[in-house]
Amino acid sequence: MDIYLPIAGMSINFFLVLGIGGLVGFLSGLFGVGGGFLLTPLMMMVGIPPAVAAASDSNQIVAAASSGAFAHWRLGNVDFKMGLVILAGGIFGGTIGVQLVKVLRAMGNFEFVMKVVYVLMLGLVGGAMFVESLRTIRRSKGAGAEAVAAPVTESSLTRLFNKLPLKMNFERSGLNTSAIFPFAIGTTVGIMAAILGVGGGFIMVPAMIYIIGMPTIAAIGTDLFQIVLTSANVTLQQAIVNHTVDLLLALILLAGSTIGAQFGAVAGKRLKGEQIRILLAIIVLVLTVKIFLDLVITPSDLVSLAPAKGGGH
Amino acid sequence: MKRLSMLFLACCLGCLGATQAQAISPEAQQHVLTAASKNLIEIGLSYHGDQIHFFGIDPVPGSDVVIRLTAAKEEVVKLSVKGKVGPFWMTVKQYEVTGSPFIYKIHASKPLDQIMSAETAKKLELGYPAVRSQMKMHLVRGDAAPEDEGIVWQGLVKIKEHANLYNIVEDPKRLEISEGKLFKHYFRFPPAATEGRYQVESFCFQKGELVGYGKDVIEIKKVGLENWITQTSQNNPVFFGIMAVLIAVGAGLLVGVLFGKGGHH
Repeated sequence: MDIYLPIAGMSINFFLVLGIGGLVGFLSGLFGVGGGFLLTPLMMMVGIPPAVAAASDSNQIVAAASSGAFAHWRLGNVDFKMGLVILAGGIFGGTIGVQLVKVLRAMGNFEFVMKVVYVLMLGLVGGAMFVESLRTIRRSKGAGAEAVAAPVTESSLTRLFNKLPLKMNFERSGLNTSAIFPFAIGTTVGIMAAILGVGGGFIMVPAMIYIIGMPTIAAIGTDLFQIVLTSANVTLQQAIVNHTVDLLLALILLAGSTIGAQFGAVAGKRLKGEQIRILLAIIVLVLTVKIFLDLVITPSDLVSLAPAKGGGH
Repeated sequence: MKRLSMLFLACCLGCLGATQAQAISPEAQQHVLTAASKNLIEIGLSYHGDQIHFFGIDPVPGSDVVIRLTAAKEEVVKLSVKGKVGPFWMTVKQYEVTGSPFIYKIHASKPLDQIMSAETAKKLELGYPAVRSQMKMHLVRGDAAPEDEGIVWQGLVKIKEHANLYNIVEDPKRLEISEGKLFKHYFRFPPAATEGRYQVESFCFQKGELVGYGKDVIEIKKVGLENWITQTSQNNPVFFGIMAVLIAVGAGLLVGVLFGKGGHH
């Protein structure tokens, strides 16, 4: 069954899109991370123009994150104050990012920059996760020979942030720290959200836990809260500046990912944490290699269509 | 019955004789009576291209027939040419191409060079060499090189052929002519054929001279939800963006309520 995507301007098999959404939803249900960073490359592989893929993905993330944020809000896991500071950075970064996309598209190298950023980021995250989970697996095989993981100490970065001006008291997280860092990380992730069409949770959550020093559950809840609003901003900007939001595509993806996530969550309960992480690391690394090869292998077509000025396709 | 009446018409037209002055202007030629199975294609939710059958009566029995499908719109195509920068392949120059048709399909009863001279083909813009001579390239970025014209032309044809927007079929099986007069064929309009007006022109040639010409107009337009989404996103982007966000939030909350915990970020 084919469906015509009005903004992408192409006809595609409905179940293929639903399946991609389902696969990413399954993985994110299993691993507990957002699927944005997998979704955009997968959509590009089936021929959806990169800019439309990224923008529609942002739209889909708004939906996926709002259901999670709603649940965490009911459990009292959202630090609204921290969320708003990060959000201010996110909106600032998202707006810069959308303008960047516009410039890059006009220059014809949007796809190149997008792929380079993907390779760097996925390689870094995948590699770190792989090493960390391998270590954990080895350690657990050593059956308690070593002491339990070193207690988390206040990192030197955390101490540095305590010295920065603009101190604020974040009651829910039990922190009294400078607002500069949450704002800066919000900006960085906002820019990436626009270029890559990702929510950025896989960078934001570790940063909030390890660098800002928030409790894990509050970090996840707060992250989801700010993702809803950051992605909403990116979606809005993309719709206004680049006309690339394909609402139909986003809705099909959402339907697929919702169903997939439920199955993923069930599967996740049967695996150990480090097994899940190493699996995710492998998927991320395979994807990284694939995108990297795209950049260095001689393309089959040297001439390609550049997007028309202002148009979505 | 339809076929019989067409044949009758063909006979009448044939009787009228074919002894007019043979200018190269197609409109001045004898009218080729044609009919299309439909003149409107609607892009709906399940659109994946469409097919239209065409029928026509050759005013000069036994002549060769060439049918051309083009769009009645100007197109500016921006093409990126990749090159190697260090170890990476990235866009090194861009050309803006004008004068090349958005869609260009030809069905001919035999190879074009056997039907007419290269000069006639060029005047009537029939065949790839004629299209190529109409193409104009304008360098937007990067440094021009002499071989670029060929690279860009071949790249453009490859992109268009891949999208099924360009093709040339010189095969009597594809363009059936029964009893030397009644010809029938079909054009496939690919999903990439966007909204607009398209024209299907029929050319009849005898001994290399144009002896008949006919034209059908086909319109493609988005309807229903497809039309509404496209129009709104282009004409009312702020409203469209806000709506996209609200629908997503609504859908997300609904999922959260339906599945209890929801959320997979």
